Amino acid sequence: MAPLFEFGRFGDGTSLVIAVLLGIAFGWFLERGGMGNARKLAGQFYFTDLSVLKLMFSAILTAMLGLFWLSWAGLLDLSRVYVPETFVAPQLVGGLVFGVGFATGGLCPGTSCVAAATGRRDGFALIAGMLTGVFVFGEAFPALASFADSTARGAWTLPQALGLSYGTVVGIIVAVALGAFAGAERLERRVERPAHAGLNGAV
Amino acid sequence: MTGSPRRSPRIERALALAAIVAGGLAVVAGTPTRGARGNVDVDRLARIVEQEEDHVTAVELARWIRDDKAGLRVLDVRSDSEYAELHIPGAVRMALGEIARMPLDSTATYVLYSEGGTHAAQAWFLLKARGVQRAFFLRGGLYEWLEQVMSPRVTANTPQVTRDSIRALTIWFGGKMQVVDSTTGGGPGGTVPSVLDGRLPAPHAADTRTEIRKIRRRAC
Repeated sequence: MAPLFEFGRFGDGTSLVIAVLLGIAFGWFLERGGMGNARKLAGQFYFTDLSVLKLMFSAILTAMLGLFWLSWAGLLDLSRVYVPETFVAPQLVGGLVFGVGFATGGLCPGTSCVAAATGRRDGFALIAGMLTGVFVFGEAFPALASFADSTARGAWTLPQALGLSYGTVVGIIVAVALGAFAGAERLERRVERPAHAGLNGAV
Repeated sequence: MTGSPRRSPRIERALALAAIVAGGLAVVAGTPTRGARGNVDVDRLARIVEQEEDHVTAVELARWIRDDKAGLRVLDVRSDSEYAELHIPGAVRMALGEIARMPLDSTATYVLYSEGGTHAAQAWFLLKARGVQRAFFLRGGLYEWLEQVMSPRVTANTPQVTRDSIRALTIWFGGKMQVVDSTTGGGPGGTVPSVLDGRLPAPHAADTRTEIRKIRRRAC
């Protein structure tokens, strides 16, 4: 029965080794998908290259369908899968800060590491910015604590929020994702490609 | 290649189709966890318990069994050996773990009992959480059954009609009704009230009974 770690199939040490391997694989495939390139990521905001949207939805669909059917088959206990807690207002503000940083720097935390790993200097700059932000937030936390803990909803899932069964939510998300894929392709074709079109594969 | 990323429309189409099938079937599958997960309307349960609609008395259960009530299923949640030693006629032995997973019959009326009442009440919650409409437990457990059905005690001044109906029910189950002296403490209606443990030594029994009755009046 999965999650294997939760059911004690391996200990903390092994789980850290697995985390490192998964992290390396994650970075490797992000890089191979061109996600270490700030210009490709920034194409998102000009509707010229919606790779990130497609990548995110592909990942969500794969993970969601896998978790759903494994759980349905009795191989996975969904209640033992960690769900990060929801804090509505602070996470909205955090999302805005994140979005501004992403649009300005052209990289998100994960992809900035990927960019740095391939020697891109903007990647290093963004990692420095990220660590600075983490440090500042940590130091300022006592002042921010009451806001950071406000509007808590606990581990809040879409089936709970919408009052629908898990399966219905899965079906809806699949439909939304496929619609997003088709829409993204059409949008990319319609919007004129600026000079950097065809940059894929080039360093 | 015209500079656009390498694409394979056939693979993309196959993946999209797989997602549609897996997502569409998920809608029908409903909830991924099967059986063991329940949902409790706590307000409703609290109301049922407050209005005492959560349990039956031993005499009610005895009548249901005798009258062959439609869809009645009596479940014994004690251990196998206890069940083998003695159980209510027609009862099926069912551990708590099995109650959490057994296939349910929506037309059935489930009655649960244990030695006292605790385990049966816990099993009752499991059934309620699984959405069973008609589930009851025997509050006094097997003790209540033995005292009220198998060897009920009536006093000399119990009305004849009551005495006859109690005797008839007891004889049907192969028990024996006792008539006791009214000075040893007949309860309201002429029957001797149930004691939580019938195996108390006789000299203390009357005192304990009074104590329990006092506590009951205060607390319930």
